[in-house]
Amino acid sequence: MPVYSRKNIADGIGYTTIIDPKFKTNKIQVMFITELKKETASHNAMAVGIIGTSNSRYKNLSLLTDKLNELYGASINVDISKQADEQILSISISSIHNRYALESEDISNSVLEILMDCIFSPNASNGKFSEEPFNFRKKDHLDSIDAEINNKRNYAVIQTHKEAYKGENSENSAYGTKEDTEAVTPESAFEAYQKILKTAQTEIFFVGPEKDDIIEKIITEKFSKLERMPENLNFISPSPLKKEVSRVEEHLDVKQCKMVLALKSSCQDEYIMKFVNTVLGATAVSKLFINVREKKSLCYYCASAYNFWKQTMFIDCGIEEANIEETEKEILNQINEMKCGNITDEEMNHALLSIKNSLNGVGDTSFSYISWYFNGFIKNNVIDTETAINKYASITKQDLIEAAKTLELDTVYVMKGEKA
Amino acid sequence: MEIKDIYCKQTGDHCKYIKHSSGLDIYVCEMNGFSTTEALFGTKYGSINTMFKTKNDKQYTVVPEGIAHFLEHKLFENEDCDAFALYAQTGANANAYTSFDRTCYLFSCSDNYIKSLEILLDFVQKPYFTKETVDKEQGIIGQEIQMCNDNPGWKVLFNMLQGMYHNHPVRIDIAGTIESIAQIDADLLYKCYNTFYNLHNMVLVIAGNVKTDEVLEVADRLLKPCENQELETVFEEEPYEVVEHDVTEHLPVGSPIFNIGIKCRPENGNARLKAEMECMIALNVLADPSTPLYKKMMDDGLINSTFCVEAFTGDGFFSLIFSGESESPERVREYIVNEIESAKINGLDKKMFNTIKKSTYGMMVRISNNPEAVASNLISAYMSGVEPYQSIKILSEMTYDDVQKCLIERFDTNNMTMSVIK
Repeated sequence: MPVYSRKNIADGIGYTTIIDPKFKTNKIQVMFITELKKETASHNAMAVGIIGTSNSRYKNLSLLTDKLNELYGASINVDISKQADEQILSISISSIHNRYALESEDISNSVLEILMDCIFSPNASNGKFSEEPFNFRKKDHLDSIDAEINNKRNYAVIQTHKEAYKGENSENSAYGTKEDTEAVTPESAFEAYQKILKTAQTEIFFVGPEKDDIIEKIITEKFSKLERMPENLNFISPSPLKKEVSRVEEHLDVKQCKMVLALKSSCQDEYIMKFVNTVLGATAVSKLFINVREKKSLCYYCASAYNFWKQTMFIDCGIEEANIEETEKEILNQINEMKCGNITDEEMNHALLSIKNSLNGVGDTSFSYISWYFNGFIKNNVIDTETAINKYASITKQDLIEAAKTLELDTVYVMKGEKA
Repeated sequence: MEIKDIYCKQTGDHCKYIKHSSGLDIYVCEMNGFSTTEALFGTKYGSINTMFKTKNDKQYTVVPEGIAHFLEHKLFENEDCDAFALYAQTGANANAYTSFDRTCYLFSCSDNYIKSLEILLDFVQKPYFTKETVDKEQGIIGQEIQMCNDNPGWKVLFNMLQGMYHNHPVRIDIAGTIESIAQIDADLLYKCYNTFYNLHNMVLVIAGNVKTDEVLEVADRLLKPCENQELETVFEEEPYEVVEHDVTEHLPVGSPIFNIGIKCRPENGNARLKAEMECMIALNVLADPSTPLYKKMMDDGLINSTFCVEAFTGDGFFSLIFSGESESPERVREYIVNEIESAKINGLDKKMFNTIKKSTYGMMVRISNNPEAVASNLISAYMSGVEPYQSIKILSEMTYDDVQKCLIERFDTNNMTMSVIK
């Protein structure tokens, strides 16, 4: 049986262990959470990117990778994302468990040492990161921002975020902008990193097949020495509804058009809104899939996703230009159907089964474990999946109707082909 | 019915192989402690299988490009309802995909797996195609083709394959073209279904929270025994040389993206797996992020962290691909060619070979950590015509000399195609 525990190891720093004997790997993930602001986003993202590719012992990506290869292909990953109005900067290391080492090496402690060096002994001196990892990361970071356009579906959603959340922290990309990244220097990135260590709410996770007291001891010792002044964070920050629906149209050299609708809600119940989202557009038997895609053949894909932190629903589809207006009308019609109570028992049952299916699978990967407990932590409400399933099971049709009634159209983004 | 236990000596992993009386091969991997069950029902039928015959045919049949993928879409619908509606009653997450060499129908669930397995085995064995449903699907797939045309990562690969292969159907988009799918009708779909969806040409793989006897009970009840049609698929003869060395297209992208491919002679079965793994080790010894080549290209601002290598192989095709983003793909190619030629003369770095081999072993252990990955590995082994866990066995026996020989024989830098989207 898996065992979960969390404790505070320093001011605003939590250490969570999830022990599950079925795993063959250990994973340690450190998540720094800080306010997502335009002026700091690029600096923070660059700083954590640099520490994920070098440290004072392995001074560049080549040397670090060579060492990780020796440790049976252990891998360090950096993930930069946003949740609500916060920027989440993660660095993690995963490796096979010592029992799979072919020559009885101690992999666990070696990878821990590397990760601790990346965090506490980066390749920096005299108040700045070294040029080599800095320059590598800067090019990479700028290229990643430029490459947003390569995936047209994601790009359309990103553009919709910018418009729907205009004036809020969450309008910013977690990577920052190209202009802000150009302005980052080895000094300013290092300064940003020192601030992250001092002020970011920090959550550390260890997921592995057995408890490792040495890992816990070393992590506690290292992090408890930091001078701390953690910032207060507010994850739930509903996005206000615009007075008038905002419409954005963009022309690119594309064959298939994209449309994204953002709708805002005043419903504060996460479970009910996620249930509404599942009935509306999160499965292959949802209202949007069955009616907009299958019955009316208006688009190739049409799906919804709900952002509880911002109380915003996004519906995105890939369509032909001639169908844009009719598709928008039909999507809004399906939402209206829910508002009018046209939700069948079968639709509710299907949605509940689908939700149960995903929740029961939490814990089959270290990623799903970390996501589940991290979300519980930031909601200040860590529960097990069974309790969550019971909450969903108690939701009534009337709850869904009332929640659907709170959805109002805020933003429409359309990507079309180039004008003739 | 024959049941056999298959073990992996290196990791202790284990699965059961069942030669079912219906003709179907079944692999079951029971994984203690996991909640998820992952099942795939697949046929050795992909986009490249456009020319075939069975023991009853005198002539080879040639079918339009994209028909395997079209058939996959249509099989989800039976006479009464579609398979998604049935899965909705179990909560399973269902899907299907068609690649170059296979079509697979799958579900993932954490409850009711027996009911979901019944749905899977039932609908894949019950085709239902009419003129109306085929006509409607042409519109939907047409949209999918358009969507893929907007994906530069997809286009850069197919542009490279078209520059590399003269005749082999790997050069054609898996979904076909608007023109080729217009030739598909219900009769052709039945012809392909009856040829390729014969249980002797198929496999069921199921891993995770599952019990072998329960799987076999469902299989005994639902699988319809069929005669082995002795299916033969063939390809037009493919010259060794590439068609052209450079292909460029303009699309909206950030930095230009490139695929640089080396065309090699194809292999089959165990020989293909061995060659593929030797090539992967050689590719990583040459161009992994720890190598001098990678560092040099990075220091010169030629690549970013999207740069990676791949051995791309299947029935009748075998190529080695370097891909990434660069403002100067020509210089990237020049660096790669120089490194390959130098390693042919001076030998690959021996220390690096040992480190990469160790790292590849670790990666193989790491990726067999959940039911989805285990099921995917099992079906890939079947589709490649090898036993499960062969990769790790081949790796453990691989020597430096094997890899150096592979480099000399297969990395022909005169037989390359570079595709760029900018």
